[in-house]
Amino acid sequence: MAPVIRHSTGVGFCTPGAQADIAERPSAVSGKTSETRRITLTVNGQQHDLQVTPNAILLDVLREQLNLFGTKKGCDHGQCGACTVHVNGQSVNSCLLLACMQEGVDIVTIEGLAESAGFEQGHHPVQEAFLEHDAYQCGYCTAGQMMTASAVINDDTIDGDEVSLREALSGNICRCGAYKNILDAVQSARGKMRGGQ
Amino acid sequence: MTTETRNPQRQDETLNSIGIKKPRIDGILKLTGGADYAADRNLPNQTYGYPVTSTIASGELTGLDLEEALNMPGVLDIFHHDNFDRLSRSPNDFAAENKVGEPRLPFEDNTIYYQGQYIAFVVADTFEHARAASRKVRAHYRKNDEQLTDIATLDSGEGELPGEDVPGDASSIGDADTAYAGAAVKLDQRYSIAQENHSVMEMHASVAHWENDRLTIYESSQGVVFQRNALSNIFGMPLEKVTVISHFIGSGFGSKLFMWPHAVMTAVAARRLGRPVKTVLTRQQEYLNTGYRPKSLQRVRIGADQSGKLLSLHHDGCNETSPAGLHDDTVSASSMKMYHCENVSATNHLVTVNKCAPTSMRAPGEASGNFALETALDELAIQLEMDPLELRRRNFAETDLSVQLPWSSNHLKECWDNAASRFGWDKRNPTPGAMKDGDEIVGYGMATQSWEAMRQHCGARVGFRDDGTLLVACGTQDIGTGTYTIAAQTASERTGIPVEMIDVRLGDSSLPAGPLSGGSMATATVLPAVSAAVREAVEKLKELATAEGGPLENAESDSIEIKDGRLVSGDRSIEVAELLRQNRVGMIDGEAHTAPGDEKNQYSFRSWGAVFVEVRWDPGISRLRVARVVSTIDAGRIINPLTARNQIEGGIVMGLGMAMFEETEYDPHGYPYNNNLADYIVPVNADMPQVEVELLNHPDYLLNEFGARGLGEIGLTGVAAAVSNAVYNATGKRIRDMPVSIEKLLSA
Ligand code: FES
Ligand code: FES
Repeated sequence: MAPVIRHSTGVGFCTPGAQADIAERPSAVSGKTSETRRITLTVNGQQHDLQVTPNAILLDVLREQLNLFGTKKGCDHGQCGACTVHVNGQSVNSCLLLACMQEGVDIVTIEGLAESAGFEQGHHPVQEAFLEHDAYQCGYCTAGQMMTASAVINDDTIDGDEVSLREALSGNICRCGAYKNILDAVQSARGKMRGGQ
Repeated sequence: MTTETRNPQRQDETLNSIGIKKPRIDGILKLTGGADYAADRNLPNQTYGYPVTSTIASGELTGLDLEEALNMPGVLDIFHHDNFDRLSRSPNDFAAENKVGEPRLPFEDNTIYYQGQYIAFVVADTFEHARAASRKVRAHYRKNDEQLTDIATLDSGEGELPGEDVPGDASSIGDADTAYAGAAVKLDQRYSIAQENHSVMEMHASVAHWENDRLTIYESSQGVVFQRNALSNIFGMPLEKVTVISHFIGSGFGSKLFMWPHAVMTAVAARRLGRPVKTVLTRQQEYLNTGYRPKSLQRVRIGADQSGKLLSLHHDGCNETSPAGLHDDTVSASSMKMYHCENVSATNHLVTVNKCAPTSMRAPGEASGNFALETALDELAIQLEMDPLELRRRNFAETDLSVQLPWSSNHLKECWDNAASRFGWDKRNPTPGAMKDGDEIVGYGMATQSWEAMRQHCGARVGFRDDGTLLVACGTQDIGTGTYTIAAQTASERTGIPVEMIDVRLGDSSLPAGPLSGGSMATATVLPAVSAAVREAVEKLKELATAEGGPLENAESDSIEIKDGRLVSGDRSIEVAELLRQNRVGMIDGEAHTAPGDEKNQYSFRSWGAVFVEVRWDPGISRLRVARVVSTIDAGRIINPLTARNQIEGGIVMGLGMAMFEETEYDPHGYPYNNNLADYIVPVNADMPQVEVELLNHPDYLLNEFGARGLGEIGLTGVAAAVSNAVYNATGKRIRDMPVSIEKLLSA
């Protein structure tokens, strides 16, 4: 245990010595570095060599190291869906994945959604449908909604009726409450992508 | 620059861009990940802030053990009471536009007022390091024996509500006591609404960055001007040295109207370290430190005659507030205006509890008050054996009796008729439990919806550019309501330049000062300013065009119109961009400042609506669900029917949350233990009923030249009452405390 630095009288915090100590530190206090490891992540078809701590979360690495800000943090606990990305085509919560365990898989974020599905120019049908149906308000949950939706549309085990789709989309919270338009957009995109199926 | 307070009347004009369903102009940015929300940036040399919060609700912080945390990898510094900068409080004045969420400065004293209060702020080189170190900070407390975290514990359930009268909150007309005493039919009931948290999808975030003595802070804010003004006061800096930027906001619902202390900690740390600091609150901290709709207790007393005519109405409210920041939710205030009743008394009490400061949450006060009043009216109708809609019709308020003014525009009767017929209200059987469909018992309920219509002063600037595009700039924000798009529609309407060619800039405090995005007032406020700025710029264009040798030389200024991006006079015309190019001018701009005139002294302004709800109760499996919601809204001219309908539907969804799920729950130590999105339940797609919204489109030209009022709040009002009334119709159980949970339904 580190020695306890505290003021016992209750009039202040830290001992005067410790206080001065803080004031004098210009930069990294401890000079300690944590253990990191080199990994290679494949994101939107590009390989990135990265140095990450073992506890770094994929969501944070995408945003803070790769500047891919389209993927959002809404809870960090797998409860809201804002951070949804595709890993090998499956929708997953990137806040629940350790970055260092994602080597050798294909990660797709909203920035790469259209291209990953073969729409090199322009947008994915889900993006177009979201625009047309106004399937968002603030737009914060929207990347996650679309990543889930595009995976749901491609999932043969999920039917296209309203109840099945609503159920499949319910891991993505939209606090703005654009659910009606989200459903309309997903149904419309599904129609376009799957034709009569 | 002009200052205008008049409302140019344009009742007969035909509109080309306004009133049209327009997909959002910022849509592609939002749909491709290109929209920059506050935390969506990594500035050079950036560091990460992570707050540490108190684990007691009342007492004193007696010491902090920091050594272990300071020795963690990557830690740059830890800020706390003993080493924090000495700053001044913001005056916290709404009228001066420097109101903040919590007036107390971070670490100002050692007193702990609520659980979750900031006690230290760790800054490290990475997010992971800051988070890890924050967990090594050890705090020592002296805990007070007494703490209060729930007003309900003070309430006997009868008679007077607990708490202190708020001076200035009591209003009355006539003599409600005497009229109540003499009324043939009486009702006296208590109601309550649980604490709700905004639970915005984007957590509060600040990225602060100093360049010499200038502060730029990227913040998720519904009010960049308010935050700029507050920071300028706090740091003692001139306004022009502080810039607050909020291009995109992962919505706010009120929780981002007024700055919270994390922004001050972040700015101080950035100055001290000489490096940018990014702070994103955790989801758990959101429930501790960024406001909420306070729990309210209410008492409604109604006196009526046998025909259902309201003779007396008492509406008393009481809401929780905090030692860290006073918030009066004025839950009963709107009851002064809703119906024709000549004897009304409304009061509000406050009780200070050990929680962080409450704040405005979508339809603040009114959503709570409306629940109590509209449920009480349903109970009165049942007492009178009268249709609840008929009872309301008999008490329609022809004028606003509380201020003795006519309504500027009021189409509530049409809302009632339109929604009732679309819903099929005539098929309602008033006997509880009488309507069945298979295993389910069906219940119908309704309520009136309402929200005040407001307009504020506003600045805006437009610039015609020589490439044919038009710049529109205003220091307001788009929180998801569609402000970018309707500002473009307005400029397009007034210039004929297509919406696609209009470049709207919002969310920056260095732009001409615009309003808060709150209270449903941004539309009525911003649009007239944009329009006036266009007029200002067009006057300059006319001067250029009519100058000697100009394309409209000698034309009378009044004869010149702007159409399809061209200045037209008789059979001569010139494209604006061409005019600029001919004169080698890159841009001609115009700035205007508009403000409401004295129309508020002549008329009362409100939006109205009616909401009808069908619930289904399956007693076999104890399942209650809302199956259908029909709402008709009178909110003046609808500028963009696509985004407008979305706003109302979103309000209804949040109303369903209030009615069915939402409740922040505290343990006896003042800790909100459901402080996450799995345990604080908000509606998801699978909870959605069929929702059918219709927007009447009756312009209210007395409020502004476009006749628009605002849509953000009204959709939520009425929903909780309509659900609770429908639950009664299905089950015969009257739930007067929101939310209607299964537990309450089974034990009632
Ligand atoms: S941030 Fe990953 S599910 Fe909410
Ligand atoms: S669009 Fe705002 S949370 Fe979904």
